[in-house]
Amino acid sequence: MESNIFYFYSLCVIILGSAAGIILAPRMYISVIALFFLICSSGFLYLSLNAKYMAIFQFILCGIFLCGYVFILLKKINRLNLKLKLVNPIKIIFSSLWVLLFGVLTCLFFNEEFNNSLYSIFNFIIEKSSDTVKFAEHIFPLHLVILLVFVAAIILRIFLSSPVVSQNEEQK
Amino acid sequence: MDFILNIGLLHYLILSLLLFLIGLTGVLISRNMLRTVMSMFIMTISVVLNFMVFGHYCDNSMENANMISIFVLTISVVQTIIALVILYKIYQANEYLDAEKIKDKEN
Repeated sequence: MESNIFYFYSLCVIILGSAAGIILAPRMYISVIALFFLICSSGFLYLSLNAKYMAIFQFILCGIFLCGYVFILLKKINRLNLKLKLVNPIKIIFSSLWVLLFGVLTCLFFNEEFNNSLYSIFNFIIEKSSDTVKFAEHIFPLHLVILLVFVAAIILRIFLSSPVVSQNEEQK
Repeated sequence: MDFILNIGLLHYLILSLLLFLIGLTGVLISRNMLRTVMSMFIMTISVVLNFMVFGHYCDNSMENANMISIFVLTISVVQTIIALVILYKIYQANEYLDAEKIKDKEN
């Protein structure tokens, strides 16, 4: 009971604070971040009202919003005329193939080792089922997957950080 | 003290009302048009919250509340995207999004 009260009041403070932040923020990017927080925290509030589907919808909206924000940021960074290095397209293609292979391997890993649990997660989201899905059981394999993602990211970083042609050098 | 500890319909309604008022204030006072669009989105969120709360406390199945809320929120998102596109075009033409300046320029 007490945790519910704490949850509600803390969400209230976050929601009202971020709503006020949208209007009163001195910079536009701060108000955009506040809007992101507002959408996210209202999703959590819907979860407390047992509205799972609405909360999932809200979180998807949050993700789309974040993608848009990152895209705008990237465009802004591009406008600053930083001396960014060009990567060979063959390397990008090879890296994408590597990521694809890694994704397939991860899915197979889930499928074989953990009794098709990915299917259960998707089933939980898509269908109105209350079957034996317990997210606590999936935390351990998720840790393994996150670790593998980090390893893949490090390998890609090492691979992509090899000497490349600078944009300025090309212009010369 | 009981009012603070027993969370019910009224608490959520007060939260929703405050959120709506903040959004309305934002629409009325902000000169930046982008901020006005965001304030309208806050107002939509408060309306959706109202639907969800009434669905939770008055209709146990929550089906109607979910349906209406998703419908309202989808329309709101589309409306926001269209507004952003229009604002982007205005920004390209004028290099600013200040409503007063644009009004002066029109006059």
